[in-house]
Amino acid sequence: MKLNRRNFITGTAAAGALTILPSVRTEAAVRPDSYATLIDLTRCDGCADREQPLCVSSCRQGRADVFPDPPADQLRDYWPQKKHEDWSRKRHVTDRLTPYNWIFVQQVQVAGKTMFIPRRCMHCDNPPCAKLCPFGVKHKTAEGPVYIDHSLCFGGAKCRTVCPWSIPQRQAGVGIYTLWQKYLPVGGGVMYKCDLCRDRLSAGETPLCIEACPKQAMEIGSREEIFAEALQRKEQYGGDIYGKEENGGTSTIYVADVTFSEIDKALVAQMKESHPNPRLNKIDNMLEKQNNWALLSVVSPLIGAVAAIGFAAKKTEDES
Amino acid sequence: MSMQTVFRHSLTVRVTHWLVAVSGIFLLFSGFGQMPMYKRYNIVKIPGLSWSDNYEITLLIHYLAAAFFCAAVLFHIVYHWRRKEFAIVPRMGDISETVQGLTAMVGFGEEPEHGKFQAKQRIIYAIIGSTALILILTGLIKSYKNLGAIVLDPMFLQWCAFIHTGSGMFFMVLFLAHVAALLLKNHRPLIPSMFSGKISAEYARHHHPKWKP
Repeated sequence: MKLNRRNFITGTAAAGALTILPSVRTEAAVRPDSYATLIDLTRCDGCADREQPLCVSSCRQGRADVFPDPPADQLRDYWPQKKHEDWSRKRHVTDRLTPYNWIFVQQVQVAGKTMFIPRRCMHCDNPPCAKLCPFGVKHKTAEGPVYIDHSLCFGGAKCRTVCPWSIPQRQAGVGIYTLWQKYLPVGGGVMYKCDLCRDRLSAGETPLCIEACPKQAMEIGSREEIFAEALQRKEQYGGDIYGKEENGGTSTIYVADVTFSEIDKALVAQMKESHPNPRLNKIDNMLEKQNNWALLSVVSPLIGAVAAIGFAAKKTEDES
Repeated sequence: MSMQTVFRHSLTVRVTHWLVAVSGIFLLFSGFGQMPMYKRYNIVKIPGLSWSDNYEITLLIHYLAAAFFCAAVLFHIVYHWRRKEFAIVPRMGDISETVQGLTAMVGFGEEPEHGKFQAKQRIIYAIIGSTALILILTGLIKSYKNLGAIVLDPMFLQWCAFIHTGSGMFFMVLFLAHVAALLLKNHRPLIPSMFSGKISAEYARHHHPKWKP
């Protein structure tokens, strides 16, 4: 292409036009045949007749081989902080998420009745935890589950910070950082959370918690089927669903016969500062909020290249 | 009597350079902020930096700085390619010439005669440039996958993240080395060229005898 005044003006105008970006909202690209789960709160009774809900105990027993086992001499403070996160002496805790407890059941009074809410990773469609892991060791799979590569996780806990439900939990003294933590204070352990029993899914089996539920309060199926079922039950109960839109969409849908804003209000009322439980509030996805800026960065090389074509024709100070 | 000068860098080159430099600093700060370190290492306690552990803020800074950085780097490539200005591109013999220059600096042998850029400057340019291109390529993939429920191969993304984070650390080392090199007495006279575009004619004759501006 010949460089002349016309090309220069065209190039500069094109570069300028590219900076005026449309407001984008990328459509979900999660496959309709990927896995999704349904949690029906009208059916869950928290296994009231048992010491522990079966979903919790089956997960703890079935996944015990993956749980961390830190040697005592590796449990060190996160220099320069004077603390570290050690759940290895509190493995018995079942009333919250820990590296040894990947699902728990919240109990809350709503409109005069007791509700039981199994809580675990929602396996989001656009998970900030996985997308923002600086080492990419947290993975969103096309099949649906979001999982952590325990062999490479440093345990920086950024995933917990960016997760709106603070699902992943950290155990100090295990993982790759133990190779250098004596010499270099980088890393804090390994993060743990539900991976939807992805190995069992690959083998054609059902996740342990779902298989164990005596009330069939939890179901797994294709995203298409589960979403249709959730909407149908919402109509049937005259109730509400949670998880379809929250945090940009997830593959876990709760259905209840009351609204989730009521449930969330009750959860907040009983929440202790020392023990904040995951809420059930409306949540915007932090990545989606910045979609336009991400898109600007993606198209910026083109803007630079087009502008250069225009500018290259101009004489410089020493040439004029 | 004013010092005789020669023209070395045009306004376009200087603006491009400073866009890369300033956006690079913002990228390094916000990029390191993407690792969970500012809270742990008490950067948040430095007055004025209490926001630095907020990933939403550092991510926004990273996107904005990346837009300037990517645009400036691509501008630089296309601009000089269109103008057929390749004086800073490494050529055959640069490595041996660099060794010769370095040994001359410590008193062994003669300093080779240079054109507009010295062989070592061309090699460093290639290293910084290729690191920047790796950062841009992996960064663009990382930005793209953040645009929505876009599911890419996890292992591919893991490699992108590893390479981006690793290259970012290397880029910081190169950036510091670049600044440190300018503090050497030998290089200091080049500094004005990135502000006024000019350097001392005497320096140019002595250090770049083959360059005829």
